[in-house]
Amino acid sequence: MTAKLTVARLDKRFDALEALRAIDISVAPGEFISVVGPSGCGKTTFLRIVAGLEAATAGQVLIDGRAVTGPGSNRGFVFQNDNLLPWRTVLGNAMIGPEVAGRAGAAEKRRTLDLLRLVGLEGFEDYHPRQLSGGMRQRVNLARALAIDPDILLMDEPFSALDAQTREIMQTELLRIWEQGRKTVLFVTHQIDEAVFLSDRVLVFARRPGRLQESVDVTLPRPRALAIKRTPEFVRYVDHIWRLIEDDVRASVIEERA
Amino acid sequence: MTATGIEANDNAAGAPRPVRHRAAPPRRIHVAGLVSVVTGLLLWELLSRFVIANPLFLAAPTQIVAAILSLARSGELGHHVAISGLEFAIGYVLASIIGIALGLAVASSATVKRACQPWISGLYATPTIALAPLFILWFGIGIWSKVLVVIFLVLFPVTINTEAGLRTTSPRLIEMLRSFGATPRQIFLKVSLPSATPFILAGLKLGIGRGLIAVVVAELFGSRAGLGRLISQSADAFNMPELFAGVIVLAVAGIVMTAGFSWIERTLVPWTRD
Repeated sequence: MTAKLTVARLDKRFDALEALRAIDISVAPGEFISVVGPSGCGKTTFLRIVAGLEAATAGQVLIDGRAVTGPGSNRGFVFQNDNLLPWRTVLGNAMIGPEVAGRAGAAEKRRTLDLLRLVGLEGFEDYHPRQLSGGMRQRVNLARALAIDPDILLMDEPFSALDAQTREIMQTELLRIWEQGRKTVLFVTHQIDEAVFLSDRVLVFARRPGRLQESVDVTLPRPRALAIKRTPEFVRYVDHIWRLIEDDVRASVIEERA
Repeated sequence: MTATGIEANDNAAGAPRPVRHRAAPPRRIHVAGLVSVVTGLLLWELLSRFVIANPLFLAAPTQIVAAILSLARSGELGHHVAISGLEFAIGYVLASIIGIALGLAVASSATVKRACQPWISGLYATPTIALAPLFILWFGIGIWSKVLVVIFLVLFPVTINTEAGLRTTSPRLIEMLRSFGATPRQIFLKVSLPSATPFILAGLKLGIGRGLIAVVVAELFGSRAGLGRLISQSADAFNMPELFAGVIVLAVAGIVMTAGFSWIERTLVPWTRD
């Protein structure tokens, strides 16, 4: 199968800081990929470059063989902070993508309403963000990215601001939604168990400079239920990834404290 | 998406549930305000009748009400209110338009900002009301000299707030829109302008009080009619009830307009309430 997304010899520098060095990745259509690593490993920068929000210093990002030069409707970005517009309703927020693209017609509205139902927000279309809980706001965030019907979903630690229980629910919800459409997903997180639970493959990044340390294939059967997190197989994956990044995490923690 | 999926989701711990609005403040607060005002008026009445007991120095609330009624009946009050109201309205509307436009211009370009900032900051800090005699000298004692004073006092808070509102637009929201490939124009219309609206409204609200001060003080310096004229005439004649009548009418106008503005804010920018 030809790759949906190809990242070739990607470098990123912020002045003296080498954020990413020589990243090479190939992602198949419909693959669910997570990126984990200690803070400062450049995983969010990597996602932003794929999104076209940040330019690479060297190297290329190709989607369906075409080079990425900026944001585009073939990618939907789910932000860490929900970034909802407080003056818009849930539906109005979810419709922003089609609206910007100049096709906010009745058909798009119907499709967006279907998406809101898919993410579990039926009946909340006319609510404003301030009336919603954190978990619900992230559902809107996800529906907003899906509303432009992107080929690739880019998710930047979308559940990191949620409490532990809500986060687990949202993980199963995300898998349920993903099973419906099987979009290609690039999911950045610092939770190893979250990455293993969701993904077909976990890309483990190292820091200083940010680079791809190892690509771990997760062959756990799908569909996955939360109970899978307690199986020895699942724990083995988590342990393996944790050992890969442990030293880096310790170093970054000490650095942050200093 | 199947029906069972929705049900499963609704039963989940993280399932959406509507968040209740905060309850309205208890009734006691309104009562406390009312009691405070009534007590104040009563003390004022007693003080002016029995302690000061000199109508050349202080008028009692009942005398003021009588003065307002008699001025209203003769049509004199209506004339003063109409003139002051016209001066205020023309000046306020012009200042709002110019102020918002200037704020947009300053926010849109660093060069414009550097060029305008010293003037805006300088004139905002200057008590420009002191220029009223000069404007009267230039434009006569008719309404236009007052309109100009109103513009000078209302313009700068509106400009400064418009610029601040646009400047403090969340970079995250701008980036969100950028991720959808939005043009700068779309970013302005869909994010910057709505998020600056509460600031612009706050500037306009601030302008009400300043505009009223401008009208009255400019009229004190020289005018044929208006509430400021009524006040200065009454002061010259030691007619305290009519002097206070003018002041009270102004106070009521200020309170009503500010309250009306708060209502507009609640309607237009409800997301700033919480």
